[in-house]
Amino acid sequence: MSAFLARNRLIVLAYAGMVVLLLVTALFSPGFLSVSNMRSTVVLAAFVGIVALGQTFVIIGGGIDLSVPWVLNSAAIIMALLCGGQDLPLVWVMPLLLAGGAFIGLINGVGVAQFGVPPIIMTLATNVILQGLILVLTGGSPTPSAPALIQFLSVGRIGGFPVIALIWLALTLVATLLLSKAAFGRHLYALGTSATVAEFSGVPTARTTILTYVISGLTAAFAGMLLTGYSGQAYLGMGDAYLFTSIAAVAIGGASILGGSGHYLGTVAGAMVLTILTGLLPALNLSSGALLVVYGAVILITVSIGSETFASLGGRLRRKES
Amino acid sequence: MDLVTVKGLSKRYGGIVALSEATFSARAGEVHALLGENGAGKSTFIQILSGAVQHDGGSIMVDGQEYRPANPDAAQARGIAAVFQELSLIPDLSVEQNIWFRHEPRTLLRTVNRGEMRRKTLALLEKYNFPALRPDQELRRLTLAERQIVEIAKGLAKDPRILILDEATSALPAREAEWLLKLTRQLAAEGRLVIFISHRMAEVRAIADRLTIFRNGSTVAAHEADAVSDNEIVTQMIGRRLDRLYPERVPTATDRIALGVKGFSSGSRLSGVDFALREGEVLGVGGLQGHGQRELFQSLFGATRASGTIELWGNQVSISNPRQALTGKDGIALVPEDRRGQGLLLTKSVRENLTLSVIKRFTENGLLSRQKEAALVKEMVDFLRIKAGTPEQLAGTLSGGNQQKVIFGKMLLTQARVLLLYDPTRGVDVGTKREIFQLMRDLAAKGYAILFHSSDMPELVHVADRVLVMRNGRIAATLEGDHISEEEILRAAMLETKAA
Repeated sequence: MSAFLARNRLIVLAYAGMVVLLLVTALFSPGFLSVSNMRSTVVLAAFVGIVALGQTFVIIGGGIDLSVPWVLNSAAIIMALLCGGQDLPLVWVMPLLLAGGAFIGLINGVGVAQFGVPPIIMTLATNVILQGLILVLTGGSPTPSAPALIQFLSVGRIGGFPVIALIWLALTLVATLLLSKAAFGRHLYALGTSATVAEFSGVPTARTTILTYVISGLTAAFAGMLLTGYSGQAYLGMGDAYLFTSIAAVAIGGASILGGSGHYLGTVAGAMVLTILTGLLPALNLSSGALLVVYGAVILITVSIGSETFASLGGRLRRKES
Repeated sequence: MDLVTVKGLSKRYGGIVALSEATFSARAGEVHALLGENGAGKSTFIQILSGAVQHDGGSIMVDGQEYRPANPDAAQARGIAAVFQELSLIPDLSVEQNIWFRHEPRTLLRTVNRGEMRRKTLALLEKYNFPALRPDQELRRLTLAERQIVEIAKGLAKDPRILILDEATSALPAREAEWLLKLTRQLAAEGRLVIFISHRMAEVRAIADRLTIFRNGSTVAAHEADAVSDNEIVTQMIGRRLDRLYPERVPTATDRIALGVKGFSSGSRLSGVDFALREGEVLGVGGLQGHGQRELFQSLFGATRASGTIELWGNQVSISNPRQALTGKDGIALVPEDRRGQGLLLTKSVRENLTLSVIKRFTENGLLSRQKEAALVKEMVDFLRIKAGTPEQLAGTLSGGNQQKVIFGKMLLTQARVLLLYDPTRGVDVGTKREIFQLMRDLAAKGYAILFHSSDMPELVHVADRVLVMRNGRIAATLEGDHISEEEILRAAMLETKAA
């Protein structure tokens, strides 16, 4: 048990932070712990969590995906356009857009792994290109409302549980299996720790890198469709908030932004922390400007607590043998 | 009058005693060697002297005054500088910028005085007869050996009264190592004290006036160098009699060719190499450093591009990345030159490192079986006698010898039967060296084929069945039987032959 704690200290820390934050928030706004409010908090956190799933894989592998906002936005808008408010087209539209998200991820991954483009540049470029394409496509006009089925997936309930929470749970299980129980996970941590050592050890580094971006494209596109269901329609700029939150959730969850460590279970706590925070801050009666400042500062502090733990770990390694 | 006197020096890390009750004394103007296996306490001792860590018991007197530096700067202020095995240089800076880093000569306006820096660099390099180094060369373009030399220059730039050299020769090829040994004598003649750590007995013999022996975290003896025999030193180092360092060379090579290489070329460093490595053979690769040995090993492993043909167990293969080299039965595996940069994930466990190349083998229906993995890890840890608390210990916290064993274990878990060993004993203690040589012979007897490079020439002479000597990216000579000697290797490495 203590070995488990030592290995996963940062993840445990993230969950502890989540609980503390919940209690503090309950102090300021007494209704916060109510069932209905917790339910809506989990739903909001699920969107962050799903986008951050792909981001977690990319970051563990030593990269970063800045294309999530417009992959998400593109999937949302194209889905709304193709379905025209009808459920039936979803049968082919959803698989098509998931494939589209995966394809953007493939382009990102190939650019990074095969052509050596730095991940920041590569994914920033695809993000801007997608943004441009969508502007051309829609001409800025509003899109039809979301199909009822997609609304059910994002706001509906099964036996009192939000459907999206169940989806999130299932995805968490898949991500955990991939990271902890599959050869791919081992390869990924090795790649993020040292690409050279991974290469010298026979790890398929290019394939592993590409796969992380493909996963990120998939989850961003999926989140875009669900988010359309939640808002009732798709609109330009709906993905912008998810760039920062997806990366922050990974970092708060204990992953090193330089790669090689972290786990999706930590990211789940990170997504919860960020969402609870957005619930707490309005209760403090701050102006919206001050709100953003506090929001950013809290994230900065949370993440640097994590990095400090890493710094001391590094120090211990350097001292090594006598 | 002693320059340094150490009494009862101790240091613990949590519950682990790294150094206890160490005693030491040394005079100005002498070369003083520290001997001991890895983990014997030498490194802790010099880390304390150089201010990198602080002792928690005992006393150090320098010039009759209490000495307890809070950091390396404080140590340097008292005239003590250290050149460590793990390099501290910055790849993006030039040679001279590295040498004078944080001590750059200044102009009146406090900006860096580049002219003065260049002048002082050239003067330093000339005074100590440094092997060719260009002051303006970017560090990242230098080889490991050249970086080590820059590190030495950086230590000397501080004009220390006491210079500590931690295995400074282990990364150096023969000629540069020779230079360094002369340098230590020159420094001693100038009245400085040189504290010198080396695992090579011949070097210690060549330069040390006195020596102090460490064992199990303490000092066990100090001697005048000419008053003690090699055998006595080794006995005191390991506390028992060491049988021969090199195992008996029983030829086990068959006629079957494991690795046939023809017309192998890579850039300007490797031009037309032909050789055949046989099953059961240990084939040495020697020569002066920088004559294509590194490129040969890396390209055979697919880590560097090369042209030419490779036949593996009689079948022509093309290898364009390490994955292809390792894949399949009877592939090719490498123990790389840079243990920490190419061989090990320092922040991951012994277990994860050992199974990284073969992790697919432990999956059933796509899911890893931790039991199967743990069983094989335990087998390998026991087989190689890897000294780790548990398989979950981080690889970066192991001693150098045990880190190298983990890399061997990783390689042996693959199905590869052609092994490329690039300087596998560098910076490894005597006991582990012997284990590695014995392992090489055992593997050869089992039908593995081994290509073996060492920067320590006696190792090639005593371990290899045949030795290829490289010069200018070619095989200059192939030595067999009685012709394998340091003289013959050097002759082939340095002298042009008429036939070539």
